[in-house]
Amino acid sequence: MRRTVSPDNIRTVNEHVEIHFDRTWFNELETRVEKNGPWDDWTLYQLAYEAEQAGLVTSFDDLQCLAHIPQLQPLPHQIETAKKVLNEMRGRAILADEVGLGKTIEAGLILKEYMIRGLVRKTLILVPASLVLQWVRELNQKFGIPAVAQKKAYVWTQSDVVVASIDTAKREPHREIVLGMEYDMLIIDEAHKLKNKKTTNYRFVNEIRKKYCLLLTATPIQNDLNELYNLITLLKPGQLGGQGHFLANFVVDKRLPKNEDRLQQELSQVMIRNRRGDGNVEFTKRHVKNIPLTLSDEEQILYDSVTRFVKQRFEESERDFGSMFSLVTLQREVCSSRDAVFVTLVNLFKKTPQHSPVRQKIWELVEIIKSIQANTKAEKTMELIRDINDKAIVFTEYRASQEYLVNFFKQHQIVSVPYRGGMNRGKKDWMMDLFRNRAQVLVATEAGGEGINLQFCNHIINFDLPWNPMRVEQRIGRVHRLGQTKDVKIYNLSTRGTIEEHILTLLHEKINLFETVIGELDTILERLEKSSSLETNLYKLILESESDDDIRSGIERIGQTFKEAKQELEKEKTLPDYPDSALDAPGRFDAKNAEVGP
Amino acid sequence: MKPQQIRKFVMRYLEATDCRIIEKSPAHVTVKFSPEADKALTNRSYYWSFIERTGAEPETMTCTFVFDPEKMRQNPDNDNKQAGTVPSSGSILGAYFGIIPTAFSGRVAQDIVTYGSRRLEQIFAAVKAKGKYICLFEEPEAQKRTSAVSSGYTTWLGVNFKVELLCDMKREELHSLGISLATGEIVEQFHPFMLAKRLSPRLPANTHITRGSLTLHKGLVQLEHHLEKRLKTYDHDWAAKAQERMGAELARIDSYYDDMLKTAEDDNKPLIAEQYANRKAEIEWQYRPRIQVSVINCGLFHLQSEPAAAL
Repeated sequence: MRRTVSPDNIRTVNEHVEIHFDRTWFNELETRVEKNGPWDDWTLYQLAYEAEQAGLVTSFDDLQCLAHIPQLQPLPHQIETAKKVLNEMRGRAILADEVGLGKTIEAGLILKEYMIRGLVRKTLILVPASLVLQWVRELNQKFGIPAVAQKKAYVWTQSDVVVASIDTAKREPHREIVLGMEYDMLIIDEAHKLKNKKTTNYRFVNEIRKKYCLLLTATPIQNDLNELYNLITLLKPGQLGGQGHFLANFVVDKRLPKNEDRLQQELSQVMIRNRRGDGNVEFTKRHVKNIPLTLSDEEQILYDSVTRFVKQRFEESERDFGSMFSLVTLQREVCSSRDAVFVTLVNLFKKTPQHSPVRQKIWELVEIIKSIQANTKAEKTMELIRDINDKAIVFTEYRASQEYLVNFFKQHQIVSVPYRGGMNRGKKDWMMDLFRNRAQVLVATEAGGEGINLQFCNHIINFDLPWNPMRVEQRIGRVHRLGQTKDVKIYNLSTRGTIEEHILTLLHEKINLFETVIGELDTILERLEKSSSLETNLYKLILESESDDDIRSGIERIGQTFKEAKQELEKEKTLPDYPDSALDAPGRFDAKNAEVGP
Repeated sequence: MKPQQIRKFVMRYLEATDCRIIEKSPAHVTVKFSPEADKALTNRSYYWSFIERTGAEPETMTCTFVFDPEKMRQNPDNDNKQAGTVPSSGSILGAYFGIIPTAFSGRVAQDIVTYGSRRLEQIFAAVKAKGKYICLFEEPEAQKRTSAVSSGYTTWLGVNFKVELLCDMKREELHSLGISLATGEIVEQFHPFMLAKRLSPRLPANTHITRGSLTLHKGLVQLEHHLEKRLKTYDHDWAAKAQERMGAELARIDSYYDDMLKTAEDDNKPLIAEQYANRKAEIEWQYRPRIQVSVINCGLFHLQSEPAAAL
């Protein structure tokens, strides 16, 4: 005679807590007893017990996840951050570290910890479309978290950890599915994009049901304190009071906070911001070596001819800057390779009206190109690579130079692979793998974009230089980043008596770009470039200058304005009313804030 | 778990599931799976359902588990081993249905089996699924086996409980309890006690089992009751604190939405109210303290009578 027992037996311990006894196992046991089997193996029974024992969460607040990810060694500030989010912020936090300190690692640690503890299963990660695959890769490779990119509708329901772009998720039919779920964990990368309450993105995210929530952003305040308020409202509505209360208590003007101590205290309960300057990250050193080269006679003739050509066109156009900038590119290209300048000339030829006398001039330049046999820079580069005798990245601005270099290296028995922005993800990954495992040299035209972490290499050769300092910094940043254990060596090739020489002077001596990481380079440039970009100013300078000395003094001027903008920013930051100063307290692990928290 | 513990664990699993060890070192093992292990570890449900429907001869996979990647790298011999050939059975059907890598190139898939690795998680899941219910008999000592007198056996219900103390955080405990279905006596640390005995799945000759006075169900209720009493003696400050946090969070939300509802236009009120309700539910979900007791595995242990003396 059998009674089926109810699947759950609930007993009260005290006014705070009840015990739920799960009884689903019992009916199965009774069935097996009645049928006298089948019985499981005694060894497997023991192993099951041992497996549970090994994974037992024996303490409320020790970090268990580190034992599960032996291949990853998080930095101390990342571990501190994870602990603080788990134990003090209760799993709802804004991770606002400055760029490059590893917010993704922190989020991964927190997610992994909750998963190991069985507190999180269903997870949604919303990121910009371009970062979806990178997140999937990092969670899988570094954390062993089986994250899946949302591609088909069934992924929403069938996969536990889904990475999707917010723009996809907010559209039907996805929207309805996502809002119908309950997520144990919601992670949003680049969360500053949610600063405006009225956008569909904000409203969509606000409707998602979630238990724990992490918002990642390096810039929690860009312009306005309200942005921060809106972010916190997503996380913990009421943390800073209602909107009216917030404005009355904490805001003088949209960029000016008041009652900063209290604001900082409130913020420190929901936000962690580690800074590069806090000394929690040790970067290796950078060594810069400029290598001046002299063009061969043929190359010099080409350079001079192209320069004359550019000047003439500029005068003919009655100094119309807009259409002339592309011509300066020709001068830059000559300094890189004859292949680069050839491609541009051919295109220019095609665009020029059939009977224009300019066509003849272009043709003359092409003729000069034909006379050039060797590439001074490429030979020097090869010599360098042989001396380095280790992995190296060669950056160039031009695809034609890239192709030329790959072939040139091949002829000289140096294995190299190309890398450029236009390649699809799979091909990029493949090139990375080849570089890591087989090739000595990577020839890259692109430094930006996600997913190229090249810490295993510490030599960079700038075959030519971008005129935008941010792009230079991006190049170096691919190698000089967290995880780089060796000092980074940067070689800048420049040709004497060309515009390249001037640019290098500006970037190296005036802006001092190579030796140190300039904090907030983007902010400085933003201020400097109020009317037009640095790059545009340089183009103008080159076109207008009558002589080398003109260029030199122009470069001097630009360098000076950069210095001033930098000093101005530094001064502002020491003033209490700089909006970002409101962020100074949270999450910096110094004694002053050690006691803050619930 | 350290590499050597994991190695021992995995080797016991492979042995218990009748896998064939092809090669082993302290750092690795190369193994040809038994059908049981193959089903549990290779994610080839389609292949196995095909084999079962057609009765074709199954071709199981071969795999190398690396317990200590560092040591594995240091030993240059292993480079060859990685690509070592494995005798292929030449089964055409097998090649057709999923074992192409082994049959053609002879390359053996290599998995790192460290703590936290997916492979080990998979093996953990496999033992948890296949090591749930057992029924064992204590093997009599030599002289008793030959004795003319039938020896009496008492049946014990052994249960390994997992206790989870949950709020927004979590702590766990294992409680292994056994109850004699003859006398109702309860023993703690039952599992380690069983490990010390010689147990077999077969009823030894010349033995009889004393009929118990307790039903299984009664045993279950008694064990739960015992555990409940134990848990009640704990300091449940953690739960009080979680309640406190939940209260504070709810108060914060209340004040935020109360203000908002007061000033909102009538059209917007239902929407805000809905959001309010959702936020409240989230907080309960996150913080509400509770104790969850589940069972890892359980079984019947037939022990020679008077075990109490031995405890």
